[in-house]
Amino acid sequence: MKVFDRVRPPRVGPFRDDAFTSPARTERTAAILGIALGVSFFTCFATGIYSHLAQHPPSWFHLSARPAGLYRVTQGLHIATGLASIPLLLAKLWTVFPKLFAWPPFHGIASALERLSLLPLVGGAVFQLFTGVANINLWYPWPFNFPIAHYWVAWITMGALVVHIGAKLSVTRTALRRERTEYSEVAPSGADTPAGLSRRQLLATAFGASGLVTLATIGQTYSPLRKLALLAPRRPDTGPQGFPVNRTARAAGVTTTAQATDYTLEIRGHGIAQPVTLDLTQLRAMPQHRATLPIACVEGWSASREWEGIRVRDLLIHARVDGARPVRIESLQQHRSYRTSFVDVDQVGDPDTLLALKVNGETLALDHGYPLRLIAPNRPGVMQTKWVARVVVL
Amino acid sequence: MTGGDERGGAAFWIAFIIGAGIMAFGIRGAVLQLKGSAPDVAKWVIGADLVHDLVLAPIAVAVGWTVNRVVPARWRTPVQVGLVATGITLLLGWPGWRGYGRHLVPDNPSVQPLDYTTAILTVLAVIWSAVAIWLVVRVVTDRRVPQPASASTPTDSPSERLSL
Repeated sequence: MKVFDRVRPPRVGPFRDDAFTSPARTERTAAILGIALGVSFFTCFATGIYSHLAQHPPSWFHLSARPAGLYRVTQGLHIATGLASIPLLLAKLWTVFPKLFAWPPFHGIASALERLSLLPLVGGAVFQLFTGVANINLWYPWPFNFPIAHYWVAWITMGALVVHIGAKLSVTRTALRRERTEYSEVAPSGADTPAGLSRRQLLATAFGASGLVTLATIGQTYSPLRKLALLAPRRPDTGPQGFPVNRTARAAGVTTTAQATDYTLEIRGHGIAQPVTLDLTQLRAMPQHRATLPIACVEGWSASREWEGIRVRDLLIHARVDGARPVRIESLQQHRSYRTSFVDVDQVGDPDTLLALKVNGETLALDHGYPLRLIAPNRPGVMQTKWVARVVVL
Repeated sequence: MTGGDERGGAAFWIAFIIGAGIMAFGIRGAVLQLKGSAPDVAKWVIGADLVHDLVLAPIAVAVGWTVNRVVPARWRTPVQVGLVATGITLLLGWPGWRGYGRHLVPDNPSVQPLDYTTAILTVLAVIWSAVAIWLVVRVVTDRRVPQPASASTPTDSPSERLSL
């Protein structure tokens, strides 16, 4: 790469050899932050894949009914690890920022490929965290579909991360091992440096900021800490009947149909010759069951409530359906996504899978799905279909 | 760079083949499913990189540069910690403070239900109170135990610095 000896940027600004003075920028800082980010990104990725499979199940995937709070935990973890990654990613990028101006820019094919993979890695990581934060605020300042873009860019980012791990494996190992020899002699303690933060202080700050972010947001899913959730876009105790709403009746365009006096629930599909209809009086006359289940939103908030209604499996028995079948629940909502949702056999058969008429002893509020909503164990909130009009046996 | 893998060790090439495969799977899925908006996503991914490199990072460098010239040496670390925490708080609180999600769903009071101006100021008050206490403790202990002169000379050796 002799060409880089002849062609090089003037040694000014960030290209000066002594442009970046902080002694906190070490290989070891980068290595420790890198490992922490690796753990948080892989956790975020795995929980994200689970959420994706739950919402778009391929033939080999079956969403189980138990443990009932599983999705609440995985999705709470998805949002929490994403948020906690923000300070770690910024600290990491700050640490390695001088490398952006390194000369020569690469020294061979492997190093050129490694540097090229930083574009999808850094761009993808910042993109994922930004779009994720915007989405939990229901803010969409872009011209594309959020779930599809967030899902596929996750794969691109993780692919770039695998390349990066391969490229940095031995540097990381060396940097971590060196601590006990060189580093400990050079910077024996966490004492200040003339430029301020030492390496250890920088790491403590990054992890501390990460903890602060978690403390200020985790209350949106972990109720005991809800009063501390000052930076969370949701509070699990705020909304009609004391818990949040994602899509209101008005936004879904069901204000009239959901309150119509001639409302009926229809059950049709596989094994049902003549569709069965039930009006509200008939629904209320059927055996009612109670279940305490979380409504766990894809956006990371969750709230556990006591629901009361009719078991979905009882409705199938009522319609004389033989054996366990998966169903599709259809809303009164006429358009937009999430109008219908698929319920797999395991969840249909669960005694806690209800078409609920009540929550915490009160008739459902219109925004929570009056007159009838699906509530089932271990299910993304967006698939707990509201304003149910139809049960289609598949 | 002392590590060998970056220059093309076996670990790098194995990781590169696996990682490139995963990236190709992601790009294929994005192109197939996003259809017309795939170029928009590409622009946003590259844009995210540029916003970091050309906006966020230079701001951080400029703030660091200013702190090193304005803030007395003994106060730098606490002030830097306070500034980092402030930056993160503002980044995270920004959509709520501006009411970006709230504007889109005016009939849904459960979205961004708090007064985020008060919320952000509360978090900042907690952060800067902690910084103030830290500074007071420093001043008091410095009076009791005078700082050795070596604290004001550079302690970073080239070997500790990031090799470029």
